[in-house]
Amino acid sequence: MTRNQVARVAAALTFILILAFAAPRQMAGQDNKTPYPSMAPLEQYLIPDRDAEITLARSAAPETISRDATVLVLGRHGYETAVDGKNGFVCLVEREWTAPFDDPGFWNPKNRSPICLNPPAVRSILPITLKRTEVVLAGKSKAQMEEWTKAAFANKELPTTLEPGAMSYMMSKDAYLTDQGSHNLAHLMFYVPLMDKANWGADLPHSPVILLQTGPPEPFTLFIVPVGEWSDGSSAPVPR
Amino acid sequence: MTEHWESMHARFKGGASLIVVMMLALAVESLAQDNKIQYPNMAPLEQYLMDRAAEIALARSAAPESLSRNATVLVLGRHGYETAVEGQNGFVCAVDRSWMLPYDDSEFWNPSVRLPLCQNPPAARSHLPLAFKTTELALAGLSKAEMFEGIKAAFDKKELPMPEHGSMCYMMSKQQNFGPKVGNADPHLMFWFPQTDHLDWGADAADSPVDVHEYSPQPMTEFSISVSRWSDGTAVRANQR
Repeated sequence: MTRNQVARVAAALTFILILAFAAPRQMAGQDNKTPYPSMAPLEQYLIPDRDAEITLARSAAPETISRDATVLVLGRHGYETAVDGKNGFVCLVEREWTAPFDDPGFWNPKNRSPICLNPPAVRSILPITLKRTEVVLAGKSKAQMEEWTKAAFANKELPTTLEPGAMSYMMSKDAYLTDQGSHNLAHLMFYVPLMDKANWGADLPHSPVILLQTGPPEPFTLFIVPVGEWSDGSSAPVPR
Repeated sequence: MTEHWESMHARFKGGASLIVVMMLALAVESLAQDNKIQYPNMAPLEQYLMDRAAEIALARSAAPESLSRNATVLVLGRHGYETAVEGQNGFVCAVDRSWMLPYDDSEFWNPSVRLPLCQNPPAARSHLPLAFKTTELALAGLSKAEMFEGIKAAFDKKELPMPEHGSMCYMMSKQQNFGPKVGNADPHLMFWFPQTDHLDWGADAADSPVDVHEYSPQPMTEFSISVSRWSDGTAVRANQR
């Protein structure tokens, strides 16, 4: 999850807690603190039980989708394929370091963000997550990572174009997305070419659309839409 | 006593038979009505038209007021859609009529259908022309088959554009009416793509919140996602799902 993702999801969760309109400013204040100043020992980010990570990754989407998806698990040097799928979707548990570099939760080892990406997102978005994870696990500092990221987009080592229709599921009941509120929100994510959030009516009162992130350097704008159900079909709370 | 009982029994049997016959007749009539096309042709135009102020309000109800108050609003006139309100945010709100339903939909000419939607700027540029063209053909008095051919030809000749990336719309009006079968459905968002993208959104899988539609002859894929609140912020009741 990126910093903006975390902030928006946290804001949504905060809405659930009836903190209403004070939430964004409160969040901004919290951003200035640095609860996680540096990377924790790697073990804190790993899930020792491989099967548990596979199950958690799959829980991002309804079982009818995730049962045939490729599943990745995080190893000491990056993500590894644990299950070869056949429907083009890829499910994994993202960690917080996919966030922007100024995200105070960037090194939060508690974060567990199960996600299932559809085939266009697998081609356009997943390489960014995988590469960044490799760099993190190689022990680079945040400053080095930032330099590397800019260079990687400039050199086209990372995808600079976005396939149309890229989207992903984040409907796991067991996700830990943020330290805020109830830590979780069932939602879908939509990656669109760079655009102003007004093009989707995002973040307006009563709008179900929330802006999570916009580039550059990432070649996309990311919106989320909360949904009323977890991946197992049970009812999920939706922000006001 | 026995005679009396036999008489009662005979009368009861006769009454029961009559009831069974009547029930069968009702069932057959009901089935026949189901199979009958209730709206075989376009109704008189007046039945599709609305009070202008009411139509503006209905169109705007498709999206939260924070969005629709700055949108352009179109209303249906005798010769097509007209701009009733010039907007500032690039969104366009209008009330689709029944002829925007699929061509095989039994409500295609149902004059009570009202489908308010607010299209975002990419959709206003690339999807709204389909509504204009379809409405133009309907108001010109074409049959459903002729409209189908007209729309197909317009896409074939590239007179109608394909959806731009990021095309989407809001359909969150409490007053939306898809006809008697679907009623006012759930509030939802819709997303359009060229059919050639062959997209997989995991739609229609059990427990997936995504539905997919492809309406011939439109070479487009439409995804819809139900949301939990109407445009006024009120929650959808669980039993409405």
